[in-house]
Amino acid sequence: MLDAVSSAEQEHLSTCGRCDARRVSMQRLLEEVSETAHVDADAAFPLERLNRQQARILARLQHEGRPARVIAFPAGHAPHEPIGSRTRPASRWIAAAAVGGLVVGVIAGRFGHDYSFQRAGINRVIASRTVEQPELRAPVTTGGIREVAASISDDEFLDQLESAIDAPAAAALQPLDDLTPLAWEVR
Amino acid sequence: MSRTPPRRAPAPAGALAPQAPLSKDSHLAAEIKRLVAVGERDTARERYGELVASQQRRAVRIAYQYLRDAHDADEAVQDAFVKVFTHITSYREDLPFEVWFTRILVNACLDLRKSRSRRLRWAVPMSATNEVAPAEPAAPDPSPEQRLVSSERATEITAAVDSLPDRQRTVFTLCHVAEQTTAEVSQALGLSEATVRVHLFRAVRKLRRLLDRA
Repeated sequence: MLDAVSSAEQEHLSTCGRCDARRVSMQRLLEEVSETAHVDADAAFPLERLNRQQARILARLQHEGRPARVIAFPAGHAPHEPIGSRTRPASRWIAAAAVGGLVVGVIAGRFGHDYSFQRAGINRVIASRTVEQPELRAPVTTGGIREVAASISDDEFLDQLESAIDAPAAAALQPLDDLTPLAWEVR
Repeated sequence: MSRTPPRRAPAPAGALAPQAPLSKDSHLAAEIKRLVAVGERDTARERYGELVASQQRRAVRIAYQYLRDAHDADEAVQDAFVKVFTHITSYREDLPFEVWFTRILVNACLDLRKSRSRRLRWAVPMSATNEVAPAEPAAPDPSPEQRLVSSERATEITAAVDSLPDRQRTVFTLCHVAEQTTAEVSQALGLSEATVRVHLFRAVRKLRRLLDRA
């Protein structure tokens, strides 16, 4: 347990009873600790458990490096009419319809998006022209698109904003508003 | 002082030089490596059984001392032996097999300890699941000598060793439970021999303070 004693140390130990006793006591302590550790482990792992462990290790190695065995799907309960032949055309149609719908939706969204931007651009141009040439002022409302008032004061804008906030539909957004820090708070 | 256990630290260059003639197990490991290299895996596996039998007792002592749980120790030892065989082609025949194996085993224990702590953090209470680990048959009744050792003193000793910082405990376990020299421990843990000696000295000093009856 302890390192081998050199000749000089041995010489000292033979003359110094205190150091010798200390060495002996340390040696005994270490032996005791080791013995306890061994007894604990050996009690937890008796011989039969070691044998079982060894068998498990070798069994694991048996499968090591080999591809996993694929078990065939049981064919004994197949119905008279194969499921695939009945459902496959239907599922194919559904998938095709879903893809078609998606494509149409994306294209329509794209056009709608561009159109609203174009309309906004037209409105801006008209608004700027009406300021310069009042005779050109004419209603440009087209189905679904609100005409943007060219001249709106700050007070009007804030009135509209407050009335929109007070609307019942905005109440659902109140918790989100509570969570959002105010501009002066984050400064 | 760092409490981080030694983990896959690269050994200093030249530190793995063998200091004693290679053991029988080292020669056996080299032979298994050759068998695997020429594709004779079945023969290699048979020979590996002998190596497992030879190293197994020492391995479970180290793992049990480290993990303090028989199931976990069992798993760590199995994993270490499987890993050794899987990577046997990377074994260097000029080095003691015990050192290489100990290094893999200690890493397996550390991996298991980590996964155990993760498991405890996310574990579903036992009452919520129906799965129960298969019970290992109980060890045979301890002899009077074993009963004597598993007394209060044994509990004290176990608690004292458990109270050591991780690195001191690892070094102490390898030196005094696995009965390796400080040179072998330094090779296994990738630490300098002086560092191993310092950890060992501190571990022994602390154990003395905790366990000395005088």
